[in-house]
Amino acid sequence: MPRKEADMSFTRRAFVKTVGVGSAAFMAARRSAWAELLQAPAPARAPRPLLLHNNENPLGPGEAVLEAVRSALGQGGPAGRYPWDDVTQLHQAIADRFGVSPENVVTGCGSTQILREAVQIFTSPVKPLVAGQLTYEECAGYADLVGTPVRAIPLDRSLKLDLEAMADAARGAGVAFVNNPNNPTATLLSGDAMDAFIERVHTAAPDAVVLIDEAYHDYVTDPSHRTQIPRAVKDPRLVVARTFSKAHGMAGMRVGYAIGHPDTIKRLAWEGPNALNVAGIVAATASIKDEARLRRESARNMEARKFTLDWFSRAGFGGTDSQTNFIFVDIKRPAKGFRDACREQGVLVSRDFPPLEKSYMRISIGTLDEMKRAVDVFGNVLGVKAKAA
Amino acid sequence: MPVSRRSFLHALSPAPAGPSSAFVAARGREAHAAEGASAPARRSAGVLLLDSNENPLGPGRAAMEALTRAFVDAGRYPTNARPSTADLREAIAHRVSVRPENVALGAGSWELLRSAVRLHASSARHLVTAAPTFEQPEKMAEQLGIGVRRVPVDKDGRIDLEAMAQAARWAGLIFFCNPNNPTSTVHPARAVTEFVTRVRKESPDTAILIDEAYHDYVTDPGYATAVPLALEHPNVVVTRTLSKAYGMAGMRIGYAVGQPRAIENFNRWGITFNQNSLAVAAAVASLGDPAHIDAERARNTEARAFTTRFFQDLGCRVMDSQANFLFVETGRPAREFKEACARRGILVGRAFPPLDKSHARVSIGTVDEMQRAGVVIAEVLGAGRPVPAAASSPSRPPR
Repeated sequence: MPRKEADMSFTRRAFVKTVGVGSAAFMAARRSAWAELLQAPAPARAPRPLLLHNNENPLGPGEAVLEAVRSALGQGGPAGRYPWDDVTQLHQAIADRFGVSPENVVTGCGSTQILREAVQIFTSPVKPLVAGQLTYEECAGYADLVGTPVRAIPLDRSLKLDLEAMADAARGAGVAFVNNPNNPTATLLSGDAMDAFIERVHTAAPDAVVLIDEAYHDYVTDPSHRTQIPRAVKDPRLVVARTFSKAHGMAGMRVGYAIGHPDTIKRLAWEGPNALNVAGIVAATASIKDEARLRRESARNMEARKFTLDWFSRAGFGGTDSQTNFIFVDIKRPAKGFRDACREQGVLVSRDFPPLEKSYMRISIGTLDEMKRAVDVFGNVLGVKAKAA
Repeated sequence: MPVSRRSFLHALSPAPAGPSSAFVAARGREAHAAEGASAPARRSAGVLLLDSNENPLGPGRAAMEALTRAFVDAGRYPTNARPSTADLREAIAHRVSVRPENVALGAGSWELLRSAVRLHASSARHLVTAAPTFEQPEKMAEQLGIGVRRVPVDKDGRIDLEAMAQAARWAGLIFFCNPNNPTSTVHPARAVTEFVTRVRKESPDTAILIDEAYHDYVTDPGYATAVPLALEHPNVVVTRTLSKAYGMAGMRIGYAVGQPRAIENFNRWGITFNQNSLAVAAAVASLGDPAHIDAERARNTEARAFTTRFFQDLGCRVMDSQANFLFVETGRPAREFKEACARRGILVGRAFPPLDKSHARVSIGTVDEMQRAGVVIAEVLGAGRPVPAAASSPSRPPR
């Protein structure tokens, strides 16, 4: 069953089936009254549009992860307890996965909380944030709230973050934020380019913290990519953030983490673990151990991503070289009209990304089946008849 | 009927019902080993958790059923999951008889308390809080370098509203926990209304945050929620949590009720996607099951009365609890009492200055748990004093 899992969309039917299997052992072991609930079929749900607008993993977490949640919350008790002990376990599991110590790890309610904390702690009204002009907005959005100036550096012509310009802008900054791969452009910067960037920033701005958001790391297929985690553990001016929301399939569980030097991590843990919920903690602790599932998810995504990009290419629309679970395509028309038309035909795609909202659209990659249905809609909306492979 | 001390001893079984065995196997022992020393890990088998004012039963059946059904959407952001965060806001609005735009969600009310400090207090406009009370707002203020005025509670543990009002001039925010944690006392609706009216008149720019975390446990007929005040006044906000009577401390859901502009500010400052999809489903189900909360209140009221009598019989003064915990004058330092109990497998509340030399906070578990706790606590407090054979002394009504 685990082998097939990656191919199987987590439909309601599949859910009922896997629940049946899991709960037989569960009941035998524990005879929890709650386990009976797992036998009940889920009620029918209204159909909903294809959700290709938030870069979610269409399969969700693996069955082993859900079983861990079931087992932990089995008798309802832990759901009623503050999850402080559990957070410690999660930190240990993440540390084990990367061969670091728990002092190198901080967790948050999604990586969003950690990105905010970094802005809170390392920037100020006189220590700006440096970020790409088109990148994940959490840091810049929070900087606006707390009154930190933002130096927004335009992308280069290939829609990649302009690392040279960003390093030049880092003088006097508190944080230099790099999303790698970058949302929404789906582009990657090589490990060598990142190494050079980090060194340049350290030279130009010895106090600035380089914050690298590797949210889409597990979807990268370009061999030039390298995570900066090993470097972050030793470098007090470098922090790497990750999330369970993407390849781990747990956007609903709200768990992210960051790895860095213990001194930096201690400062980052400004708000403590209070925002973490026990279901997410238990799920993350199980999921971080399942490398094989991540590799299957990456392969599944790569196939659906290639199918979709090939379709656009044959239809005459170019996209960036996606290293994520979404694509960024030049649809040669305003995003808004395309989005509204797709929604009418049951497909949700992304919001506007200024300054490229006049021609670019971000489309998340669902299952291959979902993308086959989606390209029919895209074809209708774009007025093309490109055939699926 | 008072339960005799002898029945405590009988109730202290060698294998008390602890957390699920799977949980202990997976984490409890490791955590226990990691913690070492005298304090057992919170989730070790048999350890009584009377330290965090949690509901010992956890969420109700409807909530857990909904949580299970929500597994299908664990991979979706809580805005996309079904039910969604919008559905949760609606369910809360319905429950509290307000509109969804009057409701902001937090990852526990913790997050909302911190946001309130940021929104209303500053280095020029201090925070007014009680001493002792829930510490999260003053912690936040300290982290941000905001001044804090701590107003001592009165001799009965009630928040001193007169002194709070006097301290409010030029303040950015007043934090008013009602019932108050850790003193467990409540102010009646009339006193709350008078307080709000007075502050609004004397210091109109001062915001008032009324934290009703323990709302569902109040049995005092004079009490009423301050939600109508939050709807009426632009800078009054009421916070609630699902961590207490709803039994979902692990799920991290709190909410704020106020006028739409106040709520928008909370939403702007809140953590992006601060709700777990499974928790949202559990909460929506639970909010639609008010009978469950009524039953939980009744259960707590009984265990609370039992425990109050127990302490009174030991000669300890107990404040009038309107919550799921007691504030007890043990006559010894809280830390010492806590450590002595912990060595015997019972975790009780932390120290609450300035009453940390003489008072302890003890959360209310089930009657069975309180019977087990009683044996240990009598031993700790009675050091040298023989425990009477039966507590058949005429029971005083809880005050």
